[in-house]
Amino acid sequence: MIAIAKADTQPSWCPGCGNYSILKVLREVLSTGAVELDKLVLVSGIGQAAKMPHNIPVSVFNGLHGRALPAAMGIKIANHELEVAIFSGDGDMYGEGGNHFLHSLRRNIGIKVFVHNNQVYGLTKGQASPTSDIGFITAVQTHGQKLQPINPLAIAIIEECSFVARSFSGEPEHLKQMMLAAFAHRGGMALVDILQPCVSFNHTNTFKWYKDRVKPIPADHDCHDRMKALELALRWGDEIPIGILYKGTRKSYESDNEVLAGGTLVENYRNQPVKK
Amino acid sequence: MDISIRIAGEAGQGLVAVGNLLVGAAAATGLQVFSGKSYMSRIRGGLNWCDLRFADHELSGLNERQHILLALNETALDILREHALPDAVILLDGKEERPQTLTVDFTGITKQSGGADIMGNTVAAGTIWGMLKYPLEFLENFLQQEFAGRDEIIAKNLACAVAGYQKGLTLPMNLAVPQPVQAPASVTTGAAMIGLAAAVSGVKFATAYPMTPGTATLNWLAAAADRYGIVVEQAEDEIAAVNMICGAVYAGIPSMTTTSGGGFALMAEGLALAGMMELPIFVLVAQRPGPATGMPTRTAQEDLKFAINAGHGEFLRTVYAPGTHQQCYDLTGIALATAHRFQVPALMLTDQYLQDAEKNMMIPSGEYQPIDRGLVDGDPETYVRYADSPDGVSPRAIPGHGVAVVADSDEHDEAGHLSEDFAVRIRQQEKRLRKNAGLLESFIMPEIYGSGDADIALVCWGSTHGACREYVDAMNAGGTGKYAMIHFTQLWPLPGDRLKPLLERPRRLIVVEGNFTGQFRALLREIGISREMSGVNRFDGLPITAEYLTAEVK
Repeated sequence: MIAIAKADTQPSWCPGCGNYSILKVLREVLSTGAVELDKLVLVSGIGQAAKMPHNIPVSVFNGLHGRALPAAMGIKIANHELEVAIFSGDGDMYGEGGNHFLHSLRRNIGIKVFVHNNQVYGLTKGQASPTSDIGFITAVQTHGQKLQPINPLAIAIIEECSFVARSFSGEPEHLKQMMLAAFAHRGGMALVDILQPCVSFNHTNTFKWYKDRVKPIPADHDCHDRMKALELALRWGDEIPIGILYKGTRKSYESDNEVLAGGTLVENYRNQPVKK
Repeated sequence: MDISIRIAGEAGQGLVAVGNLLVGAAAATGLQVFSGKSYMSRIRGGLNWCDLRFADHELSGLNERQHILLALNETALDILREHALPDAVILLDGKEERPQTLTVDFTGITKQSGGADIMGNTVAAGTIWGMLKYPLEFLENFLQQEFAGRDEIIAKNLACAVAGYQKGLTLPMNLAVPQPVQAPASVTTGAAMIGLAAAVSGVKFATAYPMTPGTATLNWLAAAADRYGIVVEQAEDEIAAVNMICGAVYAGIPSMTTTSGGGFALMAEGLALAGMMELPIFVLVAQRPGPATGMPTRTAQEDLKFAINAGHGEFLRTVYAPGTHQQCYDLTGIALATAHRFQVPALMLTDQYLQDAEKNMMIPSGEYQPIDRGLVDGDPETYVRYADSPDGVSPRAIPGHGVAVVADSDEHDEAGHLSEDFAVRIRQQEKRLRKNAGLLESFIMPEIYGSGDADIALVCWGSTHGACREYVDAMNAGGTGKYAMIHFTQLWPLPGDRLKPLLERPRRLIVVEGNFTGQFRALLREIGISREMSGVNRFDGLPITAEYLTAEVK
């Protein structure tokens, strides 16, 4: 038998991949003590980004392609005292998992969703992703992408997601602040869309392309102003705003659930149910 | 002695309400009761019916033909009259006279009694009750119970019931009627017994995309959610539902979803996830005729092979199929416990007929008796989720309790981390599949009913239990030969070596099932039953009855 173990190492990403900086920042964030590691579960689907949880020594649920959100939701419902965070890519979250993305926003469940958005499919080698720009040429989209890209931030704001932010893997300090803010958020679902270059398959939206365009949202932006937030979310092109776009005030799924008000399901398992 | 009554009309006419009143009153009287619904996939119009059967002995199924047909419109009369017994009493709602038909103006009687239009149902129930000459007070008591706290509605309904009852007493009626036998007054459905058992056994999370006929169990759980502390969530699709319960089970709580064939098809990948991650999820597949949308509101047993084979790759599962209301309760608990003991997904196959069938029985107390989840604490220094073991079952910890629990849909090493190593693959696949020995040991042997040394044995599974039992009783009473029923409640995995002696013994073996191709017969072949077997199959969407077997067993 061929002993492949020596070659079977993590990570499996290309040199220069944005995933490295995101992983480095996540490690920094976790080293601050901002998150209790025993209570942390990292959830992912399938894709290059989705392999990231294996690099952090905590509980991990690396499920099916596109299904990180429903799995994370099941975990959060079973034990809402856990910090459940998803690290997955744009294809996984907005493509294969698009329906779950939409409905999880409606639920506003307290899951932290970090999307590694490189506007291309990496694991399947270079096809268009739901966030690819129009005109993006690939081996499948031979005449260039013609479908309108998904605007995940605008969708999240429209559904009054409680925390909507964007960052860039090439701005590690900014990304760290966004991650810390998302982990500190207690009001429900937090979406952080993280722009990242794909050095192998996206030669349009390169590191420099993003670096030249990302611009921090001015400090005086009122993140509770939904229309202003939406206006920021719709900006794309020469200038791409990064930072916290929006914070909604809806109740979180877990705080608005009559059964969960009595404690976590997992802790109450052995207790006799209250007769009502 | 028993009597069968069919109430038929169009959707939205209230025939179910008439049926419910009669079933409730009959059970309260102490009669044995069994009822079933047959309906079209629409909210208004069409032709629906509700079959009731009252008896002085325990009932386990419906009759093909009825002693009384109550047609709430002329379409129902025209279509169903020829399917009633030749000497049946035929009742028609309205004013138009028809040959050999008792026309009763329920609407007129309702108006005269000061009732609202909808109370025509109460008049109709009262009329039948009067024809059967059962004590009026039981119907009255049931109405008072149904509308408790709404005095004006009770008063009007009582007036309608009395008027209907008096009308019924005047109608010509020569049928012999079974007398009460102190049968249990509580009535339940297969769907409800599954829900109750799930709640009692510790299911804390149920999620589903609504799909007939599985929804009845989801509805039961939703109604009981606050009482038992269950989170019930309507999923955006079946893919979400199965992945949610995978997450919830991983995090430590027994969880389930309900669906039917089409929804289960969407769950196939999630089922494989449960196989790979060794998660004891519980999936109720309430069957209906397919393929595709098929006949959404009818019954079938067409998803047996699909349930056994659903999901890509090779992994273990247990598949159960209750045949009675009591088995719906018992097997739900067994399925959850076995799934957790072996860390495999458990599937349960019911169907529209069993989900909706109503029967009176002693309902279990509902006392909370959560199953053993088989969890360990784990040593933070050494714990790995998928440790190899002699029986293939690895110690299962849950996240948030001191150790990192790593689960992956990819092939993974003992620690749960993704691995592409060939040796790891072999070890983990062998470990997972080794659990089959334990599953086979825990197999529930089929029930043998009837003659111990039968000439003719009907092999059946799931909801055909009642019909086969009734057929066997009738044939054994008739003295034309020795008959038996061999009824399976567990369909996978099947221990061929233990089943073979049992199935070789009878002179003739007839496999009864609600599908075209004879799926269980093929499955028996697969596990090494090579003897001659014939089949009785029904695939029109209606349940197999004892009368159907009488006509078809040759």
